[in-house]
Amino acid sequence: MNPALNKVLLGITPIALFLALWQSLISFGYAPVTMLPPPGAVFLRLGQQLFTSDFLHEIAATLVRLFGGFGIAVVLGVTIGLAAAVSPGINAVVKPLVRVMAPIPKVALYPALLLILGFDHASKITLVAADALFPILLSTYYGAAMVEQKLIWSAMAAGTPRSQILFKVVLPAAMPSILTGCRIGLVISCIVVFLAEMITSTDGLGHMLVQAARTFQTVDMFVPLITISMLGLILNSLLHGLRTYLLRGFPEV
Amino acid sequence: MITPRALLEKSAPLLACIGLLCVWQVASLTLQTESFPTALEAIRAIPSILGDKESLVNIGASIRRMAIGLSLAVLFAIPLGLMMGRIKGVASFFNPLLMIIYPVPKAALMPIIMLWLGVGDVSKTLVIFLGVSLPIIYHSFQGGKAVEEKMLWSGAAMGLSAPQRMWRIVLPSALPEILTGCRTGLVLALITMVTSEMIARQSGAGNILFNALDMAQYDTVFAMIMVIGAMGILFDAAFEKLRGRLVRWSKPQHDMPLSFS
Repeated sequence: MNPALNKVLLGITPIALFLALWQSLISFGYAPVTMLPPPGAVFLRLGQQLFTSDFLHEIAATLVRLFGGFGIAVVLGVTIGLAAAVSPGINAVVKPLVRVMAPIPKVALYPALLLILGFDHASKITLVAADALFPILLSTYYGAAMVEQKLIWSAMAAGTPRSQILFKVVLPAAMPSILTGCRIGLVISCIVVFLAEMITSTDGLGHMLVQAARTFQTVDMFVPLITISMLGLILNSLLHGLRTYLLRGFPEV
Repeated sequence: MITPRALLEKSAPLLACIGLLCVWQVASLTLQTESFPTALEAIRAIPSILGDKESLVNIGASIRRMAIGLSLAVLFAIPLGLMMGRIKGVASFFNPLLMIIYPVPKAALMPIIMLWLGVGDVSKTLVIFLGVSLPIIYHSFQGGKAVEEKMLWSGAAMGLSAPQRMWRIVLPSALPEILTGCRTGLVLALITMVTSEMIARQSGAGNILFNALDMAQYDTVFAMIMVIGAMGILFDAAFEKLRGRLVRWSKPQHDMPLSFS
């Protein structure tokens, strides 16, 4: 057997074991079906719902918030991170601000955002952006600050104008680090958007879960959780594809 | 002798705090809405929260749950992560499972866990444990993987058994990376704690916050946000001190972990 296949098999085992454990808890009567629905029922419900327009509408609401917040975080994070890495003056201002703001639990800001921005999309998008911003900003900063000086010198010796060094040398050289930050930010966005919808919302996947919990529909409680996990996996692999495309020609990290 | 420059550098975080408060003050003065109190009003509401015995007990209970969840996670996640780092089979066994679990918001499990274990301390601590474990496993895994083979060979040549090598070589050399994971975990524990209390709405700091919101006590809302934010900053600074002592020998790494969530 070849090693790659071996690895895949070894990786599938715990997931299969997990599902088997889940099923056996019910089959052997340790957990009543009302408390823990069998995995088959959950996936069946997911399959049915996937083609109803209501469910797609909820997913769309979640995705809008997720991408809105994540997009803002990427633009702001990369811009501020690059600016701080290039200019010592900006760095002196940004660094202490980030130091203070990064460890604040952003979820605690959510009530304030609700009061200021209302219960609609805006407050959730802001929360997602605030949470995803710092990993992207910091990894951009570290990536750009560690660009080898030699690269910049050679570009200048080759006649690149000063104004273009930032985009032609620093940005591409920092790209691997930026993309790592984006991946962390993306996972965080998935988590935060779901939580914000759970706390107060009228639509979205998180709202579905809360709604199901209030009416004790346990099967419906698992469906949004599995959906967000799969969304996270899909988005992650899309980002991975983008990474391989953008970093073609880079040595494998 | 402290130079003015060093003094400025030391006080920079403090200045940043003051700057943020000023921005807030100006913003609320310009917006002039009732639901957005000024920074000064919110600061004035802090003593009444910290003076109230019930809310202090609530916040104390929150911190206790957080500490228990975090320590359990550290005890469980570091050995697992290091094993994954050293033994290939263990890594490919657990990696896909962890990848599936990663984007699931752990605090979202709260309603389900509440069904099984009730609304008490056990379910909240379990949620914190789940939330914190993943980054610590991940960082321990990275740290364990990066240990230099030569050191392990020399250890083996000098007659250390495999568990001894784990304890005497792998653990210390992965320590800087592990501590980065723990720092992320610490902030994450605070976040999960607040969120789980916001969802369960029974006791704790997150509950005070939303009760005040429901009763339209907006200055209390903002004061509580400041208290929770200050907790985050203080815990982080304290851990950074501890980390500086434990791994004084290692090269200074990024002074900020990347994976705050």
